[in-house]
Amino acid sequence: MNINKFYKDAKDSGIEVSEVWFTKSTQFDISLFRGEIDNYTSSTCGKILARGIYNGKLGYCSTEKFDRTTFPFIIKTIKDSSSLIEKKEEPIIFRGSPKYYKKNTFSESLENVPATEKVNILHLLEDYCKSLDNRVTDVEVSYGETSGETLFSNSYGLKLKSKKNYFTIFCSVIVKDGDETKMNYDVFFDNDFSKFEYKAFAKSIVDNTLSLLHGENVKNGTYKVVLNNESVSNLLNAFLSNASAEKVQKHSSKFEGKLDTQIASKKLTIYEKPLLDNIFRSYFDDEGVAKKNKTVVDKGILKTYFYNLETAAKDNVESTGNGARTGSKIVVDFSNLVIKPGKQTEDQLFETIKNGLYITELSGLHAGLNAESGDFSLESKGYLVKDGKKDKALGLFVLSGNIFTLFNDIIAIGNNSKLLIDSNVLPSIAFKNLKYSAE
Amino acid sequence: MLNEKLAKEILNISIETGCDFAELYYEDTFTQSLMVENGLVDSIGTSVVNGVGLRLLKDYKCVYGYTNDVTEKGLKKLAYDLRASFDSKQELEKISGFSKVIAKNFHKKCTSLVSVSKEEIVNLLKKINAIVKDYDNRIVKVNTGFLITTNKVTIYNSKEKVIKNSREYGRLFISSIASDNGKIETRFDGPGSQGGWEYFTNTLNLENLAKEHAEKLILMLGAKECPSGKYPVIIGNGWGGVIFHEACGHQLEASCVGKGLSVFSNKLGEKIANDCVSAYDDGTIPNEWGSNLVDDEGNVTNKNLLIENGILKGYLIDDFTGRRMNLPGNGACRRQSYKYTPTSRMSNTYIAPGKYTPEEIIKNTKLGLYAVSFGGGSVNPATGEFNFGCSEAYIIKDGKILEPVRGATLVGKATEILKHIDMVGNDLAFGQGNCGASSGSIPVDVGQPTIRVDEITVGGRGGSINEYK
Repeated sequence: MNINKFYKDAKDSGIEVSEVWFTKSTQFDISLFRGEIDNYTSSTCGKILARGIYNGKLGYCSTEKFDRTTFPFIIKTIKDSSSLIEKKEEPIIFRGSPKYYKKNTFSESLENVPATEKVNILHLLEDYCKSLDNRVTDVEVSYGETSGETLFSNSYGLKLKSKKNYFTIFCSVIVKDGDETKMNYDVFFDNDFSKFEYKAFAKSIVDNTLSLLHGENVKNGTYKVVLNNESVSNLLNAFLSNASAEKVQKHSSKFEGKLDTQIASKKLTIYEKPLLDNIFRSYFDDEGVAKKNKTVVDKGILKTYFYNLETAAKDNVESTGNGARTGSKIVVDFSNLVIKPGKQTEDQLFETIKNGLYITELSGLHAGLNAESGDFSLESKGYLVKDGKKDKALGLFVLSGNIFTLFNDIIAIGNNSKLLIDSNVLPSIAFKNLKYSAE
Repeated sequence: MLNEKLAKEILNISIETGCDFAELYYEDTFTQSLMVENGLVDSIGTSVVNGVGLRLLKDYKCVYGYTNDVTEKGLKKLAYDLRASFDSKQELEKISGFSKVIAKNFHKKCTSLVSVSKEEIVNLLKKINAIVKDYDNRIVKVNTGFLITTNKVTIYNSKEKVIKNSREYGRLFISSIASDNGKIETRFDGPGSQGGWEYFTNTLNLENLAKEHAEKLILMLGAKECPSGKYPVIIGNGWGGVIFHEACGHQLEASCVGKGLSVFSNKLGEKIANDCVSAYDDGTIPNEWGSNLVDDEGNVTNKNLLIENGILKGYLIDDFTGRRMNLPGNGACRRQSYKYTPTSRMSNTYIAPGKYTPEEIIKNTKLGLYAVSFGGGSVNPATGEFNFGCSEAYIIKDGKILEPVRGATLVGKATEILKHIDMVGNDLAFGQGNCGASSGSIPVDVGQPTIRVDEITVGGRGGSINEYK
């Protein structure tokens, strides 16, 4: 594919500046069910996403079709789509950041692990889960491996490249005791296959699933809660979505006018660290702007909004490298959030709240959580905390609150930070008040 | 470019190592999106999805691969890669050609959306945008959008069949945010259809939809927090059907039923719901958002009876996952695109109408919640535990609507809620959405008349429901 020819043809057609994202990914998935390979999937796909400025307006096109008609199709589509755009903001295609913090995170060794070894680990995992307790009735295990390459360039001459790979091992366990069935799952992810220890992983899932049996509800009311790492992440993502400059500028964020003011508990410091050394590391955003680590909330004070190029131009500041593509639009998004850990272990957080709830899973976020108003009512899983210790499982219940109040009501932050599958590195946190409804 | 000759060659390579079924799925999808924000055209996007999926089956094993390299070289590489998963003797006869499967076209003729000019669509979006924005100055952001998806597929399989299918979907959406003294409320409406431009300009009353959208947004902005407790809930018609979709529909999909992982596995002929509940999944409703002439493995779609007077009568089955149940596919095999292994999914799923008017159901409820619309929900098929977030709800007291409440979430278990549906209305309606599961995001209709559940757990930030007594 001759990108330079595309830039020349686009220019000749009147497109002033143009930009191309080329992505190529390979995927490999295997799942087992009752000891047999149930599904095996293998794929290779490529895609072009192109933008161009024509008559001062931005046009867009994406295609997976690669033949001699591809470039003329993209050029025509960019011109057609830009003709109706009425946005007042001047379109921007980026010339480049002064410095990029590039680092290779691609693991050659992962690609060299034989497929038979990957299948074998699934068999070991499945068998071991089943051997741990005779109440384990079914186990589903799968292995997924993704390898992706992105080439970003534009007619200004900016060229950026990234390549990454990782694998996931998913395991769900179903346990039955009498008429009661409980299911739980976990996902391991990394790009170093040798780090996966199937016995410890299996034991943790089976123990957690069994502990959900015979849940009992407690009285409806307001309780102190400890949210585990994943639950903190679910709510933190919604909370910080209000720091998007796009939402602020469109008057749909409660953080409008709150820069350098207290928006959360003094105990809370949040960073965005896209350059952390893990599989989610990325050094440029979807507009080609260099990503940087930054403090977003310092001891409860909001230090910055998240900007892409368009919103940054509006506020006369620099982009924070938070431009993200969704379809034809570049919106504002964030990832790799890190909360500054506290000093207490999770068990000490239970001691701190003494009596309350320990929440391990929040479900139905897309319908039960309104990031703008901050209100949430979510089906949850968890345990009672009694006399400072994790106690019996709770039955089916709803946890309700408001994220803006919640992050002001922090009792203590744990020291058990871990990397989560949504790229955040977060600890468990103890909060003052959330509403529990079950009866 | 994939043609019959190349398809035959690829399938013949694929079957040499012993699979018992092989299928090539070629897709060419064109999507166009037009967005208006606060009265101005904000973005116009065009995307093309184009590629091939190759599926090889043997007993309970599925091997799937996909690529957008649709050249002879690319497809042969895919076939050789996949067939390496089998190592026995060829059991299928060499494919000599394909006979065409012609499905009856039950859709009414309509004006193709791609024939409508962008200017005309933009004008419509601007008109709706203005109705919502002008309704109240507390409405700070209004996005109106139109999405056109034209999807053409050709399926070749080792049964020497070739099936062609084309679909054109249109979806209009209104998404707004209102803000008042630190309170923020959002609302989304998104009617969709395969009924062409006429659906949006004649069938739908878009002005009313826009007015209602704005009115409900402002109403819910001022609503009190929903009280919590376990109490009766009336669920509105149309979009209310999402509760049946999540709480029951997913557990009737052969992908989990066949493996014994559904709460409804091995329950055919058993009573799973109250007598007043009958339900269908009907992929044959003309021009409906979730309909299909043929499913994504080439079987014709059906009106599948799922529950009749409370008795479980059927499941949603595709040919592969049906193998574990010794049942053939019943037209329920679907996938978002060639990038997904197809499996059993819903189309237009609904509870059949009963005998009560919605007014009678409300009148017969002393204290409860009237959940008119939902933002969505989710379910765990193995345990049947589900949740739904209400986007519009009211307190019912002494048989009358008392006041709007916000932030209600319903939770329960599939096996229990179906037995607690005690009144079914006569006002069947449908709502359109996209359902996400293992084979991707697909257009589906949910539907039901107004129904009442005599008891379900409601979570909310208000006080106890008993405070309303």
